[in-house]
Amino acid sequence: MAMLTFEKKYRVPGGTLLGGDLFDYWVGPFYVGFFGVTAAFFSILGTALIIYGASQGTTWNIWQINIVPPDVSYGLGFAPLAKGGLWQVITICALGAFVSWALREVEISRKLGIGLHVPFAFSFAIFAYFSLEVIRPILMGAWGVAFPYGIMSHLDWVSNTGYQYLNFEYNPAHMIAVTLFFTTTFALALHGSLVLSALNPAQGEDVKTAEHEDTFFRDFIGYSIGTLGIHRLGLFLALAAVFFSAVCIIISGPFWTAGWPEWWSWWLNMPIWSGAH
Amino acid sequence: MTEYQNIFTRVQIRGPLHAGPPVSGSIFQREGKPFYSYLMGIIGNAQVGPLYLGSLGVASLISGFIAIEIIGLNMWASVGWNPILFIRDLPWLALEPPAPANGLRIPPLNQGGWWLMAGFFLTAAMVLWFFRMYRRARQLGLGTHMAWAWGAAIWLYFVLGFLRPLLMGSWGEAPPFGIFPHLDWTVSFSLRYGNLYYDPFHMLSIVFLYGSVLLFAMHAATILAVSRFGGEKEVEQSVDRGTASERAALFWRWTMGFNATMESIHRWAWWFAVLTPLTGGIGILLTGTVTDNWFLWAVKHGVAPHYAPIYSHAVDPATLQGGKP
Amino acid sequence: MRAALSGAALLGAFAISLVAVLTFTRPPINIVATGNPGTGMQLNYVPKQVAAALAINQVPAALPPIDAGPPASTVYKNVQVLGNVSSGAFTRLMVSMTNWVAPQQGCNYCHVAGNFADDSKYTKVIARRMLQMTIAVNTKYTNHVGNVGVTCYTCHRGAPMPSQIWFTGATPGSGAGLLETSMGKNLPALAINNSSLPSDPFTPFLLNHENIRDQGTTALPSGNTQSIKQTDWTYALMMHYSQALGVNCAFCHNSQAFSDWSESTPQRLTAFYAEAMLRDLNTNYMVPLTSTFPAGQRGPMGDVAKINCATCHQGVYKPLFGAAMAAQFPPLLGVGASATAAVTPIAMPSVMPNSSIPTTDSTKP
Repeated sequence: MAMLTFEKKYRVPGGTLLGGDLFDYWVGPFYVGFFGVTAAFFSILGTALIIYGASQGTTWNIWQINIVPPDVSYGLGFAPLAKGGLWQVITICALGAFVSWALREVEISRKLGIGLHVPFAFSFAIFAYFSLEVIRPILMGAWGVAFPYGIMSHLDWVSNTGYQYLNFEYNPAHMIAVTLFFTTTFALALHGSLVLSALNPAQGEDVKTAEHEDTFFRDFIGYSIGTLGIHRLGLFLALAAVFFSAVCIIISGPFWTAGWPEWWSWWLNMPIWSGAH
Repeated sequence: MTEYQNIFTRVQIRGPLHAGPPVSGSIFQREGKPFYSYLMGIIGNAQVGPLYLGSLGVASLISGFIAIEIIGLNMWASVGWNPILFIRDLPWLALEPPAPANGLRIPPLNQGGWWLMAGFFLTAAMVLWFFRMYRRARQLGLGTHMAWAWGAAIWLYFVLGFLRPLLMGSWGEAPPFGIFPHLDWTVSFSLRYGNLYYDPFHMLSIVFLYGSVLLFAMHAATILAVSRFGGEKEVEQSVDRGTASERAALFWRWTMGFNATMESIHRWAWWFAVLTPLTGGIGILLTGTVTDNWFLWAVKHGVAPHYAPIYSHAVDPATLQGGKP
Repeated sequence: MRAALSGAALLGAFAISLVAVLTFTRPPINIVATGNPGTGMQLNYVPKQVAAALAINQVPAALPPIDAGPPASTVYKNVQVLGNVSSGAFTRLMVSMTNWVAPQQGCNYCHVAGNFADDSKYTKVIARRMLQMTIAVNTKYTNHVGNVGVTCYTCHRGAPMPSQIWFTGATPGSGAGLLETSMGKNLPALAINNSSLPSDPFTPFLLNHENIRDQGTTALPSGNTQSIKQTDWTYALMMHYSQALGVNCAFCHNSQAFSDWSESTPQRLTAFYAEAMLRDLNTNYMVPLTSTFPAGQRGPMGDVAKINCATCHQGVYKPLFGAAMAAQFPPLLGVGASATAAVTPIAMPSVMPNSSIPTTDSTKP
């Protein structure tokens, strides 16, 4: 039994959303639950289909394996397995597995009597994936605009999809998303550093307290958000980064087809500048 | 089902403001009278201030101010000192590095000299800020982790603006100071060196960047979820594990079969965040110096995927007889 | 405090939704795939915008074909280019040219009333040269124009001056003064999709013969000294190609490897041949006319109006959506035109101030 010293007292029944006591048990360190079963089902099936898809392809090179969505000529219909149908089933499996995982996190949170922040946060990641593979293709009228499953091929997709708009970095939502990604990483470095520096002070010093952390940050930038606040801020930054990533790709195509630099002409053409000449 | 999820502070309390322990060994003292801000209090501490600048902080701010002034005034000059055009065109404006023909010589001020100067002062500001972080941590008896993390950011900036141009023999290789222009630079960089997505260190940097955001979301959400048990007291929970720590650990153990501890999650966080600019800087430094086309490099090493040709095989017309215009 | 906060938030939300509603288009979208499924190689179009483009890119009704009468040179005086064309076809083309270029001004825009042979109006000298240029495009550059060809209308669209032309900008790095001099970039560039890229990539690439190719051709360094700044200029040129044709990068390239011809579409070949054509047209047809144009029609540097992709394409992947308009005017395809007139540039004083290329960006130690 892979159990931590304090673990046994927490392993109590209850908290499930579905299935009652039926799947309310652990396998090794993993909690199962009804959604553990569905998550396993979808992920094993999806992985098997990816391996099957690879076997039907031209290579077993892990970098080059590529399972592509249907050609855009199939629109929003089903495609034959070998021509993107596999991709469609794998996408369903992926969504099934992701949603199962989130609901399993809800069950575990309930069982532990803690907040639902983690599944809430994970739902943003699912939303981003759902935007790329479902929402945007539906808005554009073809599954073929979704990204393929392959390590390098999905990068080629990102590259080509970016250059569809001449310079994707002029996409305003992409700008916000990238800024948030960098800011989140920056904030994570600050938070990780601060906690580590309090726990690992100079040789011979005692472990420091939250008061020291607050004083450090006030000295440093004039404000310390505090131990609780930094986690609220971090969660907000991370989720906003993911949210704006989803926005930046949803607007590219369905709501803008020209070059992204051109989008800024509304700013250049606002009547308030008329005094400039 | 509806529970208090502790995403903002519902009742703000107003106690005495904290001034912090007295500063020793400096002619500077903390600046400003601390006050309460309702807005800040909604998500974090309500107290704002005081601030300790110190000699390093003052020097860093002056350097940073000089750099911003050089950049801003040159930008403003580029629209003929027209204030309306300055605001309208600000995202397009830039202070440009010297032309490649200048090599590593010091160019005339109006042909990139200002760029070199702004880069110097910005670097000075960042390095002074490093020492300020280091000294602040030491004076409060804390570890110096944050200064070294900041060092990783300096590394990336240093590679982009100094080290790589030095190795390439031209200041003109460095990015300009400007909002849209530096974005153009990143795309041109990728175009010139054959698709940066095939740069393995760029891949690593992206992994750590996304990984950092994922980690912060996981960590912050976990701490907020156990904040009803005092989970945000991370230092206390690290040295004397409480039920918040236990539940946080078990959540991840039950979810994915593995868990960090209250201290180790911050080590994961520190390394992911620090490795983002560290690997990114390596990826930039290698580009053009030891590789010239990342795609062809990937082809050579069996990484690049092949797509079935759908058009009749095209050859470069410039290589055909009479094709060269 | 709290009321002010929510007020500011409301105002901000309103402004953002206003921008969102007013500046974006809406589905449905038409997709044209240009590569394998899953590569992201595709063109995207808004049907409404395509309909609008179709409406303004219609070919005007052609006059009924006439090909009768003795050669024009035997009927009219001073016919230098179309002398062997039948006088019927000649007259039909002259009337058509008036409709295409100067419908408001009429014959007298170029001709002296009462003496059509007189060359004293500068517009007539230019029109003759443009006629030669049109014939040259249709005969020498079929690798670009195919059998669609061009007519005066392709560029002029009923106006004496085509709307999409370009002038050379100030030479980068040429400014004096203490503060940063213009490097030819970092301002909104209208012809470059409003980006901050160089606003005049035309002078180095479509007038002069600078190297457009930047990307390395070997995995490891092997002597390619093209700089990132030079890549900015190429990128600007490519941005113009896309904007001028109403397409995106995927029309010609797989961005996996932009320079790789085996991954490119056939359209890249067509575009490639346009580069030589445009250099020829700008150098041998437009630049020699510099002093013929009145100063008011020249650019800020005193140079002549020149041609780029947008001059003909005007936002469409094939000018006038590929309507074979030139086929209705055989003289424009070189039928009956005197061969020498079609290819040899006439002697004109070659005055082109500031024709030098932006050397600061094109050389590298």
